[in-house]
Amino acid sequence: MSLQNILQDWSKYRKGNEEGGFHDYEHLWGLAIDLNKCIGCNACSVACYAENNLAVVGKDKFAKHQEMHWLRVERYWDEPDLGEQAVSDYQSHGASFLPMMCQQCMAATCEPVCPVAATYHTPDGLNAQVYNRCIGSRYCSNNCPYRLRYFNFYSYYEDSWPAPLNMQLNPDLTVRDKGVMEKCTFCVQRIRAAKDVAKHEHRELQDGEFTTACAQTCPTQAIVFGDLLSLHTAGKAESTLSTLWRDQQVELGRTEQHKQNPDKRGYRVLEGLNTDPKVMYLERVREV
Amino acid sequence: MSAMQLFFGRRLLSCQSLRSPGRSLLLPLGFVVALFAAAPLLAEVPNAVAPTETYSGDQVEQPIEFPHDIHAKVNKINCMYCHTYARRSKVAGIPPTSKCMGCHTVIATDKPRIKKLTEYWEKGESPKWKKVHDLPDYVHFTHEKHLQRFIFDNKDMKVENASEVCAFCHGEIKDMTVAQKSRPLTMGFCRRCHEQNKGPFDCWKCHK
Repeated sequence: MSLQNILQDWSKYRKGNEEGGFHDYEHLWGLAIDLNKCIGCNACSVACYAENNLAVVGKDKFAKHQEMHWLRVERYWDEPDLGEQAVSDYQSHGASFLPMMCQQCMAATCEPVCPVAATYHTPDGLNAQVYNRCIGSRYCSNNCPYRLRYFNFYSYYEDSWPAPLNMQLNPDLTVRDKGVMEKCTFCVQRIRAAKDVAKHEHRELQDGEFTTACAQTCPTQAIVFGDLLSLHTAGKAESTLSTLWRDQQVELGRTEQHKQNPDKRGYRVLEGLNTDPKVMYLERVREV
Repeated sequence: MSAMQLFFGRRLLSCQSLRSPGRSLLLPLGFVVALFAAAPLLAEVPNAVAPTETYSGDQVEQPIEFPHDIHAKVNKINCMYCHTYARRSKVAGIPPTSKCMGCHTVIATDKPRIKKLTEYWEKGESPKWKKVHDLPDYVHFTHEKHLQRFIFDNKDMKVENASEVCAFCHGEIKDMTVAQKSRPLTMGFCRRCHEQNKGPFDCWKCHK
């Protein structure tokens, strides 16, 4: 009975996007990140480390690309055509920053390749990673065009939090062991807690009731978290985030945006790959 | 399911739990009989299908041999009187010693267990109770949601009978002295109950 249930629902989850999306979405969590506001301070990344029990791996392992940051701030130097000139001028021009967390794609490339169904699409529109189910095949990571999945090559917990640092671990989520893939969850423990409270009070979840650790920490409020359900399903309450998406004329379910107003800065990273990410970036505008 | 069966079943169960530290030869037999007798005894909670699986957990040595049977069965104290966090948080909680002393400054002060408890109290320490029902770290379980579903949102259910709902996962604690794990508490156990009672079926509802 149980197995049958899993298989039935699994094909529903898997075929979701091909058949026009998972039909019973309860929420559609998404983000908007204004790169004009981003100052590259890395506070979001630090907040993510603290919130999600991320291991500090040290210089050696970092150099081997075994880092565990779910949210990284990528740096780009402007005008790559200028070549070395740009590099020597970078202090006056400065770098552009791009905070990259899991894009929680609607048509996620990581999901269909998992051999054990450890990653799947939730009714909240998130790409879930179930740690105790993961066998560490790393297919998902190799199939992610954004390289936003991180693999536990070692039992980092052994030396990442020497006492008394282990006391700061968040009890609301697991400390992952080696051989397990992990990724940004949009702070699912906060979502879960907020939902529990709302249900206890017999009401709907309110917009802005809670937010992710990165959005909460951002000193310039460049990151906005919210529900995109009204973009996807008619008749749902509009959230701050979906207003923002609408304002930027960015739509879900497209490989290319057709904007009425080309001055609108909103875009999604690598949307041409038809991954349908739920993170919108607002392009940085600079003086030449 | 006659009254006789009910009576004998309960008696057998309580004998078993009282004698179990001794582990006499008769015990396994008694336990098997008790199991058979216990099956129809499962609490009938309105609007809920009770899980049926059983499990035989280890006897846990507690600092004081706390008699659940005297409290919950003889004196009919509600589980939530002591495990007060169950109705509003993830964990049910173990009562502070002050809660024990609320009654036991007056009641049964001459009993050896209460004397031991009073010693702890006067030293300003709490007995180091050991956890009997422990779930793995990757599981998110909240008592509050389950109590809400089966007790408070359940129109035909009386709060006085809360122990019948607790018995779903904890077994007949009111027939035990020291609590012992008597349900498997595995994923299959949770799943089957979720299927029958239409609980959520999303991995991330319970796995974290």
